[in-house]
Amino acid sequence: MPEAGQKKVSIRIDGELVQLPASHTILQAAAMAGRFIPTLCHFDGLADAGACRLCVVEVSGVARLLPACTTPVQEGMSVVTDSPKLAAYRRMILELLLAERNHVCAVCVSNGHCELQNLAAQLGVASVRYPYRYPKLPVDLSHPRFVLDQNRCILCSRCVRVCASVEGAHVWNVMSRGIHSMVVADLNDPWGDASSCTGCGKCVNACPTGALSEKGQAVEEMMKNTAQLVTIAMRKAVRA
Amino acid sequence: MLTTTGRAAQDAGEHAFIDEVIARRAGRPGALLGILEDVQEHTPHKYLCSDDLRYIAARTGTPLSQIFSVVAFYALFNREPQGEHTIAICRGTACHTRGSRNLLEKLRLDFGLTADADGAQADKLTLTTRDRKFTLRTVACFGQCALAPVVELDHRICGHMNEQALAREVKALVEEKRS
Amino acid sequence: MSRIEDLSTFNDVRERGVAKLLPGVPRIAVGMGTCGRGNGAEGVYHALAERISYYGMDVQLVGTGCFGPCSEEPLVNVFIPGQPLVILRRVQASDADRILSAITTGHVPAELAWCKVEDWDHVTAHFKYGHGYPELPDWRDIPFFAGQKKIVLRNCGVINPDDIEEYIGVGGYQALYKVLIDGRPESVIEQIKAAKLRGRGGAGYLTGLKWDFMAKARDVEKYVICNADEGDPGAYMNRNEIESDPHALLEGIIIGGYVMKSTKGIIYVRSEYPLAVHRLERAIEQARQYGLLGVKILDRPFDFDIELVEGAGAFVCGEETALIASLEGQAGRPRPRPPFPAEQGLFGRPTNINNVETWYNVPPIIIKGPAWFTETGSARSAGTKVFSLVGKVRNTGLVEMPLGTPLKTFVYGIGGGGAPGRSIKAVQTGGPSGGCIPQEMFDTPVDYETLAQLGSIMGSGGMVVMDEDNCMVDVARYFIEFTHSESCGKCVPCRVGLDVSLKILDDFTTGKGTAAQLDQIVELGRMIRDTSLCGLGQSAPNPVLTTMRHFRHEFEDHMIAKRCRAGVCGSLALSPCENSCPLHMNIPRFLALLKQNRLEDAFESVVMDNPLPASTGRVCQHPCDNRCRRQTIDEAVNMREVHRFIADAIYQSDRFDALAARVVARKLPATGYRMAVAGAGPTGLTAAFYLALLGHQVTVYDGKPEAGGMLRYALPEYRLPKAVLAKEIEMIARLGVQFVFNTRIGFDLSLNDLGSSHDVVFISIGTWKESWVHLPGTELKGVMPALPLLEAVSRGEAPPLGRKVLIIGGGNAAVDAARTARRHGAEAAIVYRRERKDMPAIAEEVHAAEQEGVKIVFLAAPHRILGDGEGNVKALEVVRTRLGEYDRSGRRKPVSTGEVIRMDCDAVVLAVGETVDADFCRASGFSLTEGGTLVVDRFTLETSRPNFYAGGDVISGASNVSNAMGYGKKAARIIDERLMGAGRLAQVLPGFDYVPRAPDQLSSARRHETAVLPAAERAQSVEEVAIGLSAACALEEARRCLHCDARG
Repeated sequence: MPEAGQKKVSIRIDGELVQLPASHTILQAAAMAGRFIPTLCHFDGLADAGACRLCVVEVSGVARLLPACTTPVQEGMSVVTDSPKLAAYRRMILELLLAERNHVCAVCVSNGHCELQNLAAQLGVASVRYPYRYPKLPVDLSHPRFVLDQNRCILCSRCVRVCASVEGAHVWNVMSRGIHSMVVADLNDPWGDASSCTGCGKCVNACPTGALSEKGQAVEEMMKNTAQLVTIAMRKAVRA
Repeated sequence: MLTTTGRAAQDAGEHAFIDEVIARRAGRPGALLGILEDVQEHTPHKYLCSDDLRYIAARTGTPLSQIFSVVAFYALFNREPQGEHTIAICRGTACHTRGSRNLLEKLRLDFGLTADADGAQADKLTLTTRDRKFTLRTVACFGQCALAPVVELDHRICGHMNEQALAREVKALVEEKRS
Repeated sequence: MSRIEDLSTFNDVRERGVAKLLPGVPRIAVGMGTCGRGNGAEGVYHALAERISYYGMDVQLVGTGCFGPCSEEPLVNVFIPGQPLVILRRVQASDADRILSAITTGHVPAELAWCKVEDWDHVTAHFKYGHGYPELPDWRDIPFFAGQKKIVLRNCGVINPDDIEEYIGVGGYQALYKVLIDGRPESVIEQIKAAKLRGRGGAGYLTGLKWDFMAKARDVEKYVICNADEGDPGAYMNRNEIESDPHALLEGIIIGGYVMKSTKGIIYVRSEYPLAVHRLERAIEQARQYGLLGVKILDRPFDFDIELVEGAGAFVCGEETALIASLEGQAGRPRPRPPFPAEQGLFGRPTNINNVETWYNVPPIIIKGPAWFTETGSARSAGTKVFSLVGKVRNTGLVEMPLGTPLKTFVYGIGGGGAPGRSIKAVQTGGPSGGCIPQEMFDTPVDYETLAQLGSIMGSGGMVVMDEDNCMVDVARYFIEFTHSESCGKCVPCRVGLDVSLKILDDFTTGKGTAAQLDQIVELGRMIRDTSLCGLGQSAPNPVLTTMRHFRHEFEDHMIAKRCRAGVCGSLALSPCENSCPLHMNIPRFLALLKQNRLEDAFESVVMDNPLPASTGRVCQHPCDNRCRRQTIDEAVNMREVHRFIADAIYQSDRFDALAARVVARKLPATGYRMAVAGAGPTGLTAAFYLALLGHQVTVYDGKPEAGGMLRYALPEYRLPKAVLAKEIEMIARLGVQFVFNTRIGFDLSLNDLGSSHDVVFISIGTWKESWVHLPGTELKGVMPALPLLEAVSRGEAPPLGRKVLIIGGGNAAVDAARTARRHGAEAAIVYRRERKDMPAIAEEVHAAEQEGVKIVFLAAPHRILGDGEGNVKALEVVRTRLGEYDRSGRRKPVSTGEVIRMDCDAVVLAVGETVDADFCRASGFSLTEGGTLVVDRFTLETSRPNFYAGGDVISGASNVSNAMGYGKKAARIIDERLMGAGRLAQVLPGFDYVPRAPDQLSSARRHETAVLPAAERAQSVEEVAIGLSAACALEEARRCLHCDARG
């Protein structure tokens, strides 16, 4: 939307005045104001899915909570990025994610470098009130270089989006629905057999948890090269 | 067992049909759903096999993962061969309040079908008997609420069902086929 | 080809259509919607077609859509030129000859005719059929249709949906013609705005605004979409609308396409609706032929076409962004908004999506104008809405009512109320996105705002009526299970939050729920509602949040008492009959034992569950009958009579002593605790029985000279012989229970004294005060309350009734008084202010009374009692009532008509209900409810005073014997548990060598009723009327049991 990109609007983020182009989102505005809004599905340079709902904020005059990642700023908007209610909801969402699959950090390649783990610590999630589901999902070791551990996946769909819009390979998608949703390669083929995969590894670097990792990494060893991937994705997004 | 040439001939026939369907639907809104619906309806056991899906993907230029995502998302699509007869039990609200769960349980017992390990799925299911005679499935709502509880036997709606009437209808289904 | 290009070709088609609808020959139209077909309409159609051709008759036969009342299908309407249109109902194929032969003589078959239509308002045209058939009611006078206003359904069931000419004949496509000729799209949008039309898909957004937004969007391609992916379980109005009148939908969409400057229309329809798909395909084809779709529509510079897309079974595709994803060949996962579809929708182009019913409202608004439209409905919700009224009402079907109509009109007026003997509990509106509205709130007007305030929504218009057989916890679970399986899985709150919610609800339906979970599910629900990505998730918690708001007590029942009163939650009950029995008798077990010829075991099973089986076997209200699953085949098993048979067989044999010894042998060692039971009625006797069995020392106090309470002093000998009761009390006495008679608690013996001399006191004094009627003349001699009358008779006295007795009331006491009066040689008539179906008395007893010559005057309320000069009653004046508004009990309130009738009599008996003795209560120091009953903890029966418990009528108000005994049993269990620190009741109950199993051979016999003395004989005697089942019949009844207690 080039014509909207030029016009600037003024909004308040937790009382602080921010000026930015109208095409920007509340999440971007908060970043400019130096305010932290948690998110797990947003990835700079990728179209937002609005999937994790951690970034919901309060906007004065709007009864509903709005997701910061997909709500464009509007002139005069006043945003509250944190409140007791928001904090409680965000903690509940994290607890639900932790209960959904298996997030035992002690045995995870991403331990110490995991966005889910970091966020849980940051938002003070000390325990999970919901029963753990532990669904015993498959671990796909068929790819020569990478591993997919469904048990660590939080269905943020960053892998799906980066593969489609940056690499253009469309290896990944999500199958089934509801609680049975799972990331799949091609026709639910073993990743190593997926004819569309270029082996670029962008999905691995986009993944916020230990669901996608490089082979041969031991516990705590998997470090994602996020910064480089963001640069590539941003460049691609600008061109598009 | 099909011979290699037999299969090739069959594939060729199938491919010609898929080509025709794609030609008719491609480029229009809802094309992919329509193509998959037509192809599934055309196959003998009313399901979508991987070979057909790969062919559709290649012909329409659709990513495989997108096709799989669609097939696995919509209740209408089957990834497994279906039984000779399909019995669909309506699980709409009116049917539920008039005892459709009992009908479902009864048929499952009669057919010896057990739910998969994940109990939460138990009420939303498509199960086929080992001999491929019957497929038992649930439908969200047929919109026949005034006839509740409703069961559809091979596309024929039967209203005001009870366990005995259902057993009778199922028996009739088998005998009809025989005669 | 009949392409319409100008007014004259348009009018030609219109005239052809009118000629089909009002032909010079008789026209028979068979309702061929899916519901009609499901009930055999195709057979009817073919039979008629075959007979018409056989006779060579000049009759026009067509298929139409559905007229609405699905429970009366198959419907056929018959038009004979010059006469009204007549609606025939429940027509069968075998009726074909009868219908045709009636028509040849210019008549309609009287036994099938339901109502007539003299003129019909198609909104876009008005049809006059003719006057006649004075014996037939007008359709508007049929309760199902009363108050309906058919705007959306204007043509449904009247025209042939497969014939475009009939649609044009009733003024169809005229609005399109007008819009195209006018050529001012803006003014159409203004009209839609002025009409305040709101989206009928659920959210209720203003359609005019949506259209305006879209019309202003600029792009080379724009899409107009009709959302016909009606997926709400329990809602099927869109299916019917499309099946019955597809062209009206097309017309609305074409107009929308024109004013929003689009050339492409799409209808996204559920594939589960094959007939609707078929009719739409045909309608689109015809519209193209007639030049109403395609290029240069009506020869104006406007190109537009409509494409049909079949959904593939995903509820979430009702969500507009998911629907768009689906059309683009993706899984139906909703996308974030903004961007809104009107900016970037299908394939990134501006897109407008409206619900089916919204489109149907467009042509009428254009023809009649916005002012006409806003005349109907409420201030903020204009127009009508079609609802599918289904569930536990007598009349089900599609109804179109003005918005703002109160719920009770739907349930009791149109729906005709619940099934006999079942009370309605709630209405579920809005499907999985809506909520349950309790019966106390049926005054609620049905419009967008009010329903939202109650935590529900209007949604697409589903209305599912629930009665006492529906468990609200189960209903909440059902909807969460539905949204859980339909959730797309994209956003976390909906995907995982619903999964956790479902697990919690599973815990409640299996009795494992906890108080912490009760709070957790509300907290989770709010989070899911506030943070989910799309409407599915945002509204998914509504069913839970509303049931928690309005039916929290049901959750508590499941959690604390581990009871599902409705008997739905299978793992909490042995069988539906056991669950409905206040004493929780193991009914399937005693039936099986009897079947195995183990009479003594059967007796022990019965008596250990219920210490007064011979009495309850005669006079219980038998709630088990209502729940028996055998009803789905024929009638309920006669469980009450079987247990009476078992009890009588032992009591009247020489085996009584042996079996009494078997019961006494089960007694636990003495505990040393002393219990006082105040009141020797059924509640007190039951409590005493179990407390004694549990080893406590029990003394029962009563003001009367003998035990039995109401059973002894209110029930007439002909219903429950005193000798039978005496035998049962003897069994209780054998357990060591002491009785102290002629001692009224609170008068002859103070509660304080009782409390200090016993460890626990159980109050079960019942309701012995007859409610007084405040009428002029009640001071006259010959006016008496029912209870003292029955009591006097039970003592063998002959009351001064005279020759003619009038009884005021409708309960069991009224019927007992009347039948007693007959036995004393008097004429007896009952005066009741409501209708027969509203009488609280047991139906069998009412029937028996009438057989004995008791007259019942319905719809008559007492006005005043007249006396002679000496202060004696000589007449009762009653005022005729008619039935007015529905009250909270779901019965229509009797309203005076002002017409007074005088009925001569010698005595007037007041039997309008009994209450707790207020003098006792005031003196007791217990906390009391507004109704004058004792306050107790619902789950423990503790009163406000430590170590004092209460049960029976004194806490529930006047009820019946089995309810009363249920309290006694529960009290004994709880009191013992409190004193001994553990539940011990199971220890005294015997086990039997019995494995519940579905019967190998099910009896195909119909229900056996008890034999009765001939009416002529019994009116003159006090002999027991109901003789009971024979051994053979009792055995056959036991063989009829389906054994719901068997676990697969």
